[in-house]
Amino acid sequence: MADKILPKDKTEGFIQALGRKFVVVAPVERKDAPAEFKEIGAGDKVILDGSQMMMPPKDYLLPRYETLLKVSTRPGEVEVQPVLPDEKPRVMLGMWLPDAQAIQVLDKVFLEGKFRDPYYAARRANTMLVAVMPAQMRWSWFCASTDDVEKWKPNVDAIMYDLGDRFYIEVTSPRGEALVEWEGLAEPSSEDVAGKDRLWEQFKSHGVLPFSDGKFYEQLAWDHPIWAEIAQKCIGCGVCSYMCPSCSCFDIQDEVCGTCVERYRCRDTCQFEDFTLMGSGHNPRPDQLPRSRQRLMHKFKYQHEQYGVVGCTGCGRCVELCPVNVDIREVLNKVCAEKEPEPAV
Amino acid sequence: MSEDSTLVQERTEQETKESAEQGRTWQPIILGILCNWCSYAGADLAGSSRLQYPETVRIIRVPCSGRVDPAFVLKAFRKGFDGVMVLGCHPGDCHYAKGNYYARRRIALLQDLLKALGLPEERFHFEWVSASEGNRFAELVQEFTEQIRRLGPFKGVVAVENKSS
Amino acid sequence: MTEIESRIREEAKKVLENGLVDLVIGWAAGSVPFRTTPVFIDNAQDVDKLVWNPVCANNLAVYLPKMAKNRKVAIVAKPCDIRSIVALIQENQVKRENLYIIGLGCAGVVDPSKLESAAIRLSDIKALEWEGEGIRIVTVDGEQVLRSTEVHREMCLACTKREPALYDVKFGEAVLPSQIKPRELPELPEERQKYWSEQFSKCIRCYACRQICPNCYCEVCFADRVEPKWTAKKAVPEENWMFHATRAMHLAGRCIQCGECERVCPVGIRIAELMREMAEAVKNKYDYEAGDPKEEAPLLGTFRENDIDPAQHSE
Ligand code: SF4
Ligand code: SF4
Ligand code: SF4
Ligand code: SF4
Ligand code: SF4
Ligand code: FES
Repeated sequence: MADKILPKDKTEGFIQALGRKFVVVAPVERKDAPAEFKEIGAGDKVILDGSQMMMPPKDYLLPRYETLLKVSTRPGEVEVQPVLPDEKPRVMLGMWLPDAQAIQVLDKVFLEGKFRDPYYAARRANTMLVAVMPAQMRWSWFCASTDDVEKWKPNVDAIMYDLGDRFYIEVTSPRGEALVEWEGLAEPSSEDVAGKDRLWEQFKSHGVLPFSDGKFYEQLAWDHPIWAEIAQKCIGCGVCSYMCPSCSCFDIQDEVCGTCVERYRCRDTCQFEDFTLMGSGHNPRPDQLPRSRQRLMHKFKYQHEQYGVVGCTGCGRCVELCPVNVDIREVLNKVCAEKEPEPAV
Repeated sequence: MSEDSTLVQERTEQETKESAEQGRTWQPIILGILCNWCSYAGADLAGSSRLQYPETVRIIRVPCSGRVDPAFVLKAFRKGFDGVMVLGCHPGDCHYAKGNYYARRRIALLQDLLKALGLPEERFHFEWVSASEGNRFAELVQEFTEQIRRLGPFKGVVAVENKSS
Repeated sequence: MTEIESRIREEAKKVLENGLVDLVIGWAAGSVPFRTTPVFIDNAQDVDKLVWNPVCANNLAVYLPKMAKNRKVAIVAKPCDIRSIVALIQENQVKRENLYIIGLGCAGVVDPSKLESAAIRLSDIKALEWEGEGIRIVTVDGEQVLRSTEVHREMCLACTKREPALYDVKFGEAVLPSQIKPRELPELPEERQKYWSEQFSKCIRCYACRQICPNCYCEVCFADRVEPKWTAKKAVPEENWMFHATRAMHLAGRCIQCGECERVCPVGIRIAELMREMAEAVKNKYDYEAGDPKEEAPLLGTFRENDIDPAQHSE
């Protein structure tokens, strides 16, 4: 496929060119906070090089808050109005490769099987994904421990490798060709290709942890003592899952105002006490232990069983941001270190 | 913005329009949280004495100013009320002896909170009004309404450009 | 291992062995050198896990209401953490007699995100140590000392109460900062409102600020209540405002200024700044300081007849 070079000083022109064909969604800089994926507009400073942690791209595809439908009532009349997003051709730029892979996990949840989520589907349908490979690997990444990352490439449409003063744009899907039609792009030299290969090799070998050599998804046991260890310090907040690019849980709430109702969807997480709380008052996960277990088991075991993909893609956000330093890399290493005893011969 | 948050604002806008059409001045919507034993009775007295005061106040009756959770006031602003007034029995006169002393501290800190958050302090009014002060109640409403009129409609707790769409 | 660290470990060992406590709560080395993690030790053999260094950020008092309910607990605590403990005792959330406080003189805690801004690669860091008012950072290629203003948490830059106010045993000396970071909220109301609008717009309602706060111990937080619904769960600016304004009110006269809420916020909301503003108001109006052992009752659970009168038109 036709790989191209984008000199960094031409980035703006490139984005403008894309903007003529697509709605461009990219991480936009914010004050004292990770950049956030937005449909870019005038005055937005876009961060394309992946050098900093950004909010997960799911914030765009599965917004933190979205109206699902509105109801208005007048005497003798009730009108229900679904609020579906438009299906427009979109391109999402600037996400880390593990974040792009996390979208595959979301796709399994929202698009496959019996239920196809029309809201997610509308945003996702014509959306191309362009990942970025930053010049420096992030300390918290452990992508290559969670999966064979070579398999991730075709799941995006292109990857932009940060080669210092230029991006190497590797086109990884047929429809990705449409992204590199702009005449401002140059042909890669053999040096550029070598630079790209170096970055890719670096990514493949970065954060390869001891647990990755076994089938870790088979080793997470329901009654492992590690859950109690995590639960003891875990404060049950939403950081790890709200910031996680692949966590998909949401809540649906109705809000009433005199003559109208708004049904909306917002984030929820298995880490919250009221996540499993039932109307009767019964809570099947009554304390933090089953909640801590759920997060890890869901990502590393259940989702693998259910969809054949690992729910965690090793982006490292929860590793970096957990207020009490629950580091899932450590957890997996610990769990997997205890190998089954060799059968006596 | 979500549906419910516009509730008061839409009404205000509509009423502003209507009153402009009728050549009247704009009527703010004010939330009055009144203690049952004093200011509520005071309001009653104002009514039964046929005192004139603007119909700007929506009254919530509480058993004592000590019942007033500052979140009542915060929520009223969040919902878009143009002004909020809390009235209780004079210090020493609380039906439950001490309720208004507790209220006093909460309200004083609520004022600081509003200030820290940059909400116009003039939109919040706290006062002691006894059951016999029907006149004073009518005057207070009159004055507070004037004050809010000067400030104009409340644009919401969040500065406009940051509102959720 | 520093001298103070070894004394903490000896003390922990002692109180576990002589049966004075059943559990020691402290910090252990984190998964990376620039983090520590809470550790719960019930066996004297494990006391060597305990550490004390400039990244001992967590205010461990958050665990007390649950963990020290029916058993005796020793807690390793910084002066701000001790203020939380005092407040929890005053509010009947934990009994003094259930606690054995290993208090520490403090020299300020590091904010790792500031290290990144100071162009230090986090993955290069091997250790962090106190060095006078500053921090010595040992990296793979050498070491350097940064000034406190460059690396300390914002809350620490404003903290002068660096001696433990309540303890059973105390180790280490406080290092007082030579200058205090001024409060920096804009003066004009419109600008303040704009400032907080921007800040609160970022909130994703993960509730980490609440969960980490030792003084946010309500069994059901107002934010989680459905009936009455004080604030909707959706993360929109107005609802976020409602959450933060109400939380600030709930912590007025109770927040002890540890800065944990701000530290854990994944989107960098300057929550502690609002808390500091409120603490200042509390001090000015009532000469009251949350977490000070001299206070006899919670600020809003008591009153004086001559308290300041908030009525605007009193005759
Ligand atoms: S679980 Fe943690 S490391 Fe894995 S994808 Fe989610 S945030 Fe990233
Ligand atoms: S880990 Fe928890 S919050 Fe995340 S998707 Fe799974 S169940 Fe939902
Ligand atoms: S971020 Fe950490 S403390 Fe919060 S729920 Fe996740 S594991 Fe627990
Ligand atoms: S509000 Fe913040 S600064 Fe205050 S006690 Fe709670 S966590 Fe600490
Ligand atoms: S920690 Fe930050 S993002 Fe999370 S609820 Fe608190 S202020 Fe909002
Ligand atoms: S009864 Fe009126 S304030 Fe207490």
